[in-house]
Amino acid sequence: MAMDKNKNPLKVALHGMDERSYKMMAMYLQGPCKGAAMVVNGQSAEVDIFDADSLTGQQLLKAHFDKKSPKPVIILSLNEQGLEQGLRVKKPVKTEDMLSAIAQARGLLGGKAVSSPHPASGTMAGREAAPIEAEKPILKSYVIETDEQKKTSKHEAAMQLNEKSFGAFIGNVAGVDVNDPKQFAKASYNPKDYFQGYVESAYKVSREKNQSRQLNSGWNPLLIFPDNSEVWLDVDESQLRAFAGLAINSTLGSKMSVTPLSQDMAHTDRDLERFQSMDAFLWKIACWASKGRYPASIDIRQPVYLKSWPNFTRLLVTPHALRIAALLVQEPRTLPNVAEVLGIKPQYVFVFISAACSLGLAAQVRREADVLVSPPEIKPNKNQGLLKRILSTLLGKKA
Amino acid sequence: MSQYKIIFTGPVGAGKTTAINSISDLPPIKTDASASDMTKSRKASTTVAMDYGIMNLPGGEKLHLYGTPGQERFDFMWDILVNGGIGLVLLLDNTRADPFQDMKFFLDTFNTFITSTTVAIGVTQMDLSATPTIDDYHFQLNNLGLKPPVFAVDARVKSDVSLLIQSLLYTLDPGLEG
Repeated sequence: MAMDKNKNPLKVALHGMDERSYKMMAMYLQGPCKGAAMVVNGQSAEVDIFDADSLTGQQLLKAHFDKKSPKPVIILSLNEQGLEQGLRVKKPVKTEDMLSAIAQARGLLGGKAVSSPHPASGTMAGREAAPIEAEKPILKSYVIETDEQKKTSKHEAAMQLNEKSFGAFIGNVAGVDVNDPKQFAKASYNPKDYFQGYVESAYKVSREKNQSRQLNSGWNPLLIFPDNSEVWLDVDESQLRAFAGLAINSTLGSKMSVTPLSQDMAHTDRDLERFQSMDAFLWKIACWASKGRYPASIDIRQPVYLKSWPNFTRLLVTPHALRIAALLVQEPRTLPNVAEVLGIKPQYVFVFISAACSLGLAAQVRREADVLVSPPEIKPNKNQGLLKRILSTLLGKKA
Repeated sequence: MSQYKIIFTGPVGAGKTTAINSISDLPPIKTDASASDMTKSRKASTTVAMDYGIMNLPGGEKLHLYGTPGQERFDFMWDILVNGGIGLVLLLDNTRADPFQDMKFFLDTFNTFITSTTVAIGVTQMDLSATPTIDDYHFQLNNLGLKPPVFAVDARVKSDVSLLIQSLLYTLDPGLEG
């Protein structure tokens, strides 16, 4: 897939800009100017861009010209007075003017990078040192990846399921009523019997070796990129859901393998919309494997704890997941206790725990003290009526 | 009638104005100053006093949404602002030089308020800068003895802001039913 990311952006340094202007300019070059230039620190810059109208702008420009730096200069200014040198872009800056100035600067460079001289010593440099230091941006140095922003699946808002949509989206297990306490013993599943287990294993290897890997399944391969914590899979959501919900038999299991991704394959251009975060992907397939059951590794008579809140804005939000997280992050509880305290069906607790365990966010309590002490009852907030009204308004306002 | 409010805070450019705009029933009232010419093409102003929005609740009540000004020079207003607030939404810009320093600054500043209420943290601009990760924030917070919700947030997206506030409410009372 073709990408419009500029492969050879001009490296520019920004001068005379406060934090906000600096950041805005960096985004402007990356966005409207389509990455024709990228902001770097002064030493590595090929071109310097000055805001001549800032408090220190004129001073910085003078110091720059006095140094007789070979680097081309782009000057942003409201007026032309005193701007005989450099490539001027009139404010408010128009994209075509800026692109034209960038092209001219590139022409002046003749396609060669200019190595920046070290700051001149001497009286002049010494006098100018203070304002130059003062304008040093407090932003960290980063390159805005336009490709990253095009990975819409990775950054899209979470899908929130309610009780009505749960069955259709997550599915049910035939022959077991997971909500019947008498059948709790049968309401577990082993993630290793599902695609979830193979993905967890592939993630582990990929992360340990810090190497891009491919999970082959006799189906479409899952590409794993641990550097960016993302995966790539070219299948529709409905296909994935069906596959993730199937127990993998020995025939299919024998086709599963994890192989390193070659350098060529790792850097091949791909449909950016098919990238997903590793966490969001695993969370989702754990929900589909679970179908409202809990992982076999969890003893439901023993409390579980939640290490931290899941990043719910980027994960599939199952019914009551936020309430369950809020409760479990406070203190460990058994799964049936969570369902009882919140007055919800156990399947919602089970599916949440399955997903949270897959990311390593939830685990069984091992300390005896936590098992012996029964969790306290939850006290309603003194403003519960108000909080309920805010909540119902928010839930009615979902985007 | 009581003044119910949620406070949005965080450094300049973290998305407080946008977040309030995302969920307010009225266009937020802003007390902004003109930004430099350069910024006008993307954002014409910066908040120097406060943002204000309203959520209309069932029964005719209103929830007031206040955004603190980003500039520290207005911090004398913050104590007044939080009086009567039900919780704090802290928005952090992941492209800033040291978001952890920002986080600690705001958690310290609002420490008394957070202790008596609660806080939910939204990290913005994660599509521009993937690090620190959400796990990194949890690690830092864990060292401070805190376990608040921390979500990646696009302040323009209503469901992101809504989930963040929902987490704030459930932290105050997990027994709440929607």
